[in-house]
Order: sequence, then C-alpha cells, then structure tokens
Amino acid sequence: MRAQFVLSETWIGLRRNLTMTVAVITTVAISLALFGGGLLVNQQVSEMRNFWDSRITLTVYMCNDISPAEACQENGAATEEQRTELQGKLEGMSQVDNVEYMSAAEAWEDFQKRIGSTNEALANAAQEGDIPDNFRVQLTDPSHYNTVRDAVSGAPGVDSVSNDQSVLEDFFGLLDGLKWAALVVAGVQLAAAALLIGNTIRLSAYSRRRETGIMRLVGASNFYIQLPFLLEGAIAGFIGGLIASGFIVATRFTLLSRIEEWFQFDVAVDTSALLAVIGVSIILGVLLCTITSFLTLRRYLKI
Amino acid sequence: MIHFDNVTKVYPTQKRPALDGVSIDVDKGEFVFLVGPSGSGKSTFLRLVLKEEKPDKGRVHVAGKDLARLSNWKVPHLRRRIGCVFQDFRLLPNKNVFENVAFALEVIGKPRRFIRKVVPEVVELVGLEGKAGRMPGELSGGEQQRVAIARAFVNRPQILLADEPTGNIDPATSIGIMKVLDRINRTGTTVVMATHDAAIVDSMRKRVIELEEGLVVRDQTRGVYGQAY
Repeated sequence: MRAQFVLSETWIGLRRNLTMTVAVITTVAISLALFGGGLLVNQQVSEMRNFWDSRITLTVYMCNDISPAEACQENGAATEEQRTELQGKLEGMSQVDNVEYMSAAEAWEDFQKRIGSTNEALANAAQEGDIPDNFRVQLTDPSHYNTVRDAVSGAPGVDSVSNDQSVLEDFFGLLDGLKWAALVVAGVQLAAAALLIGNTIRLSAYSRRRETGIMRLVGASNFYIQLPFLLEGAIAGFIGGLIASGFIVATRFTLLSRIEEWFQFDVAVDTSALLAVIGVSIILGVLLCTITSFLTLRRYLKI
Repeated sequence: MIHFDNVTKVYPTQKRPALDGVSIDVDKGEFVFLVGPSGSGKSTFLRLVLKEEKPDKGRVHVAGKDLARLSNWKVPHLRRRIGCVFQDFRLLPNKNVFENVAFALEVIGKPRRFIRKVVPEVVELVGLEGKAGRMPGELSGGEQQRVAIARAFVNRPQILLADEPTGNIDPATSIGIMKVLDRINRTGTTVVMATHDAAIVDSMRKRVIELEEGLVVRDQTRGVYGQAY
C-alpha cells in the first residue's frame, strides 16, 4: 500500500471537481447542522421534561370570601370540615405522593418572597388574603395529573385547580414540533447531499477513467482503484461535518441558552451530550458520503 | 499457458456469436499472431483471456487457472501476470516516460526502491534509454508504443497480449516494435498479437491463428498472413 499515491490521487480528484466538492460540503454541512440541531433540541426537551416531572405539583385553591368562582359565591368560604375532608381524600389517593397545606398567610408570604425581588409593584399591591389558602399536591407520577385534578376539582370548598401542566405541554409541544421540523428538513437535505455526492464521484470517476482503466489492466486491486474515490467522498463528508459542528455549537450557545434564560431553567445540555451530538453528526456525514461513493462506483467504475 | 476449450461468446445485442466453439492452445513461450478481418473475434479472444468477458459456453484456462472458477476479487492477480498493449497506446499524458511505466508498479503496491531499480531496465529493454524524462506528447508514435510495451512488461508478466500494436504506426517503425516484442518473447514470455499487418506476419514466420466470423479457419506454425486479404 502506498499512502502517498492514494492521497495524491484523492487530492487531484477533490481539486478537479472543486465546484462540486464545495456544493457537497455545503449541503452536507447544512443537513448535518439541522440534524444535529434536531438532536440537541431533543436532548434539551427530555432534560427539561425530567426537570419538570420531578417538580410538577398540583395546587388546589380553596374558596375564600373574595373567590370569583360560582361555587364559592354560592357557598361562601371553605369550611374547616371541607378542608379536612379534601386533605383526607387527597392523601388517600394512590397517585398522590405528598400533600402540604398552605394557609392564606403562608401563601402571601411565599408570594412576597418569590415575586418581591423581581416585581415589587405587584408584590406591594397584593394583600394577605388575595391568595386563598391551598393544598400543594406532589404526584408520584406527573402523568396522573388529570386523574387527580378531575377528582378534586368541583369538590365542595374548592375554588380552582392550577393547570401549569398544560402550559408546559404547549411549550414542550412547540419544541417537539421544532425538533421534528429540523429532522425532516435534515432528512431531505441528506438525501440531496447523497445525490450530489453520487454525481460528484461519477464526474470524478469519469475524469480519471484513463488512470482507472490502466490500473484495472495492470492488475491493481479493486480496493486500490476505489480508495481515492472513497476518500474523496469521506473527506468532503468530514469537512461538511466539521462545519456542521460549528453550527451545532453555535445553536447550543445561542438558541438553547436563550430558552434556558427565558424560562430560568437550570437545565443545560452538558458538554458531553454536545460532543456526542457532534460526533454522531460527523460520523453520519463521513458514512453517508463514503457509502454513496461506494454505491456510485459500483455502477460507474467497472472492475 | 492459454487454453480455450470449445468457447462460445455471444454479445447480448448481437445474434451471431463473436466466438463460436473455439478451441485454441497456446504454450508457454510461444509467439502467436491472431489474424482475421474486423469482427472476426480477435478482440473477444483477448478480452476472454483477461476475464473482461465471460464465455457463454466452454472453458478458458490462463496460466493454469480455470477462469470460470476464479473469483472476481482474484481477477486483479490474474491481470498482474498478463501485460497488455493497445493500438492507441493508452499512456497518461501528464506523466513522463518513467512515471508512466512506474505507474503500473505503484498501483499494485510495489516498493519505491524496487520501482527505481526495474523501471530503467525495462525502459532500456524497449530501446528508450535517455528518454525516461520525456512526456508522451514529445515522443513519436513508435516511441509511445515502446513506452506502452515497457509498462506492460515491467511486472514481468507470463503473457503479453497485443491488440494491433502497430495499427497506428508506419511500417518502418513497426519493424522496431516487432523487434521489441520478439526480444520480450525470447525472455520466455508468451506473446499473443492480434493484427491486420500482413507484412509483419509474413516477415516474422511465427504461428498464425486465423479467425473468421468467430471460427478458427487456420492454425499454422510458421505461417503467413494469407492470400485472401
């Protein structure tokens, strides 16, 4: 095996078809960037799901004197019995992990603590009693959310049950949609990239048909004849993958960081996950190009 | 060395067989002319020896190997034992004489030291000493064919196939080419040469196999080209 010979043939091939090579690299880079972006969003979504699944709670607000809900208007503020009954009911449910009662005074204090620093006007405007007393219900599994909510909403003395779940679901749905859109576009792009590579390698094989014809006649092995073409594809795929990695890293530190900041989540896709996505993208690029080159050669380079 | 046993080859687009039940034996060290009009099956014979085509019927043995049983990945090794020369030289225009000959060894992975040693020897054998640095474009047709012969012979094949090697060369120069082929034959290499050149065949007085419409119509030791053409 003479590495220098193979490498120089590869280099000649890449240079001769420079425009096609550039087209291949660009297409591969874009498609892999979209693919990697899709993977990153996927990672981010599952991380955030985990984060929220352990924290998601149901808040059951009780009626007080100023509750606008119809049931509360009719029956007035919740009684001590209603509270005890509801607490018993919640604690008796198998889907419920833990129930915590928060009086109106505690709820107001908690509100002040959480909102006071960021939105002083709102905190000052709120008075004790504006937030009704409530039960914080921790679920064993967030998927039971609806069951528990249906069981307690409408119970005597209950004003409303918070539904932060649905807000989160909308958000996750949006991210899921983004992910799938990115992956579908990536798929189409990858198909286009494969066709381009096929065409490039075909041109390359055609422009070197003299050399390959002689190689065949003097008994060069098929591998030796094909290797420069395969390397040509692999190198284009690798460069495309490297450029895509740049895009992927940029996505991580701009788009995803923004999302985190916006929602004040403390869940970042960590460096090892980022490296894994980059690795997968580059390997995919190299494999795609090499395999396409190989299949093209089987058709256009008679052995 | 080359053994055809009742070989028939039909190309898919043609009705008439290119070779029709041909049996030919060529021994080691022989010099054989393959003559006959265009389309008589000479090129098909050469392509079958190289396993570029497969026979539809019959068996082909080359250098002791049954080609039907030779797997595709071993075909390159068969071709290393066969040198090929063509009418159109098939040199690489961007490589000089030395590089063109060396190319045949480079692509089968021979070490550089070996190449530096044997290429000048072969270049000298074909009568091109002192011209190793020339580009093909700077050489005459006869000289280019000598380069092609050097490339075919540099790996010391057991068989040299020549498909009308003098077809593009004037008669005076052709004699020189034939001398080179004769010299190669004297080293023990079997030479099979397809040709239309009556004068050359007549002057060499070697074995002549005449094909016509895919059939062997004459096989003569020390033969001549024939009267009909």
